[in-house]
Amino acid sequence: MEHAMDHTAYIDAAAATLGLKITAEQRPGVTRFFTLAADMAALLDGLPLTPADESGQVFRPVSPDLGEGAP
Amino acid sequence: MSFAAEATTTAAAVRAGSLTARAAVQASLDTIAATDGRINAFTAVLAERALKRADLVDQSPRRARMRLAGVPFAVKNLFDIAGIATLAGSKIEATAAPARRDAVLLRRLEAEGAVLVGALNMDEYAYGFTTENSHAGACHNPHDLARISGGSSGGSAAAVAAGQVPLTLGSDTNGSIRVPSSLCGTYGLKPTYGRLPRTGSYPFVASLDHLGPFARSVADLALCYDLMQGPDDDDPACAQRSIEPTTDGLDGGTGGLRVAVLGGWFREMAAAEALAAVDRVAEALGTSRLVELPEVQRARAAAFLITCAEGGALHLPDLRRRAQDFDIHTRDRFLANALVPAAWVVQAQRVRHWFARRVAKALQTVDVLIAPATPCTAPAIGTEWLDLAGQRLPARASMGLLTQPISCIGLPVVTVPLWGCNPAAPHLPIGVQLIAAPWREDLCLRVAAALEAQGVCSAPVANLQN
Repeated sequence: MEHAMDHTAYIDAAAATLGLKITAEQRPGVTRFFTLAADMAALLDGLPLTPADESGQVFRPVSPDLGEGAP
Repeated sequence: MSFAAEATTTAAAVRAGSLTARAAVQASLDTIAATDGRINAFTAVLAERALKRADLVDQSPRRARMRLAGVPFAVKNLFDIAGIATLAGSKIEATAAPARRDAVLLRRLEAEGAVLVGALNMDEYAYGFTTENSHAGACHNPHDLARISGGSSGGSAAAVAAGQVPLTLGSDTNGSIRVPSSLCGTYGLKPTYGRLPRTGSYPFVASLDHLGPFARSVADLALCYDLMQGPDDDDPACAQRSIEPTTDGLDGGTGGLRVAVLGGWFREMAAAEALAAVDRVAEALGTSRLVELPEVQRARAAAFLITCAEGGALHLPDLRRRAQDFDIHTRDRFLANALVPAAWVVQAQRVRHWFARRVAKALQTVDVLIAPATPCTAPAIGTEWLDLAGQRLPARASMGLLTQPISCIGLPVVTVPLWGCNPAAPHLPIGVQLIAAPWREDLCLRVAAALEAQGVCSAPVANLQN
């Protein structure tokens, strides 16, 4: 991964921003799993995509006859 | 002792009046009482509700037309059941308000005479492949009680394999129907993403969540699936497709179908018993064709990150307030997942779409793809590491290595169980995935039925006498 991330600093900053408290007991596991996610992200970064490659998450507009789309 | 009859057999007997729904349901309840101390598939047994419901079926003027008349079934405990809290495998949800009504799929099955007998064990919030639930206890594999049932729908597979019920429902986000089907030796169907409505079920990853059935015969699996089809406006991901029945086409055979084995990742990450199972299926179907999909490992990574982001965000309020109440097997993962940056997730969704387009192209020349459902047969409960492809990998996450790339792009899959593929443990089953293009569940089921008819695959009730 070219932009090597300081996971410890990121975890602390992101957790604080989100209002999450990472305890000493949780920290090794959180660091391990976040590192795994970072490895997955690095793998995805290696696939050359173009701006035309759209997201797999497609929004579907809600028709007025469904009201708010929920009961 | 077991409730060994298939759903179709029981329903036919109840329709004909040679068996009452009450007797069928009581037999199931008796089997659960006799066996579940060893299996731990059930987290709630709803005897009173079930017997009342059975009496209604027996008295119904529609009984002779009900396609699941008197058939006992159970659901993973993330399905809403009116009057009880929807646990989704957690301690946290135990104090939630009871569900006001049953989940849509549950209602559809009961409308055809099926009778719900209980709720089933699972990994907490469906995040796992082993059902080693710290709150409810591990679900044991009925074919070898020292081994995992697989997960996250472990209770759903184990209850069917143990002969407690002939039908169950589960969910599959990254492999949670296919992995326990494989390890417990049952049939399982993960339909196309968007086929069956998820209304009234506790979500995990909305972008990837599917619901589907488990059974001990292909006919039961197809019937249960057919009766659950149809859109529902309250699930925004559910497609507006009319019902496309599969049951009548089950005996269509495999003539004219183009079948191929998935190569690359799907063989590299499989142990000998998984390869043996796939090769046996390929031989039975008369194919030696190998198809390799591009960038499978990246597709798995995409599913992994989408799961991280949506699962972490969903539980953020509880992670802030009461992280200590999560299962030890999920807590640190959910905490880490909540921190995943948006750019990673957006990239994952783009890779998902890229992969779906490439696989669609491959599916222009093949109807059904074959791959192992799990890398190996069921490990012992508590196993931490697996040796696969010359690597030492974390056992719990690795059970989904071969299912995750497929559910990432929502393809329909039937898992079929084979036996004797692991010479060191011939009593253990292993599943093979039969994968088709979107909305072609009929092809998966047709091939499964042909393999069942040839005796290549089967789902016997476990021997729990000893």
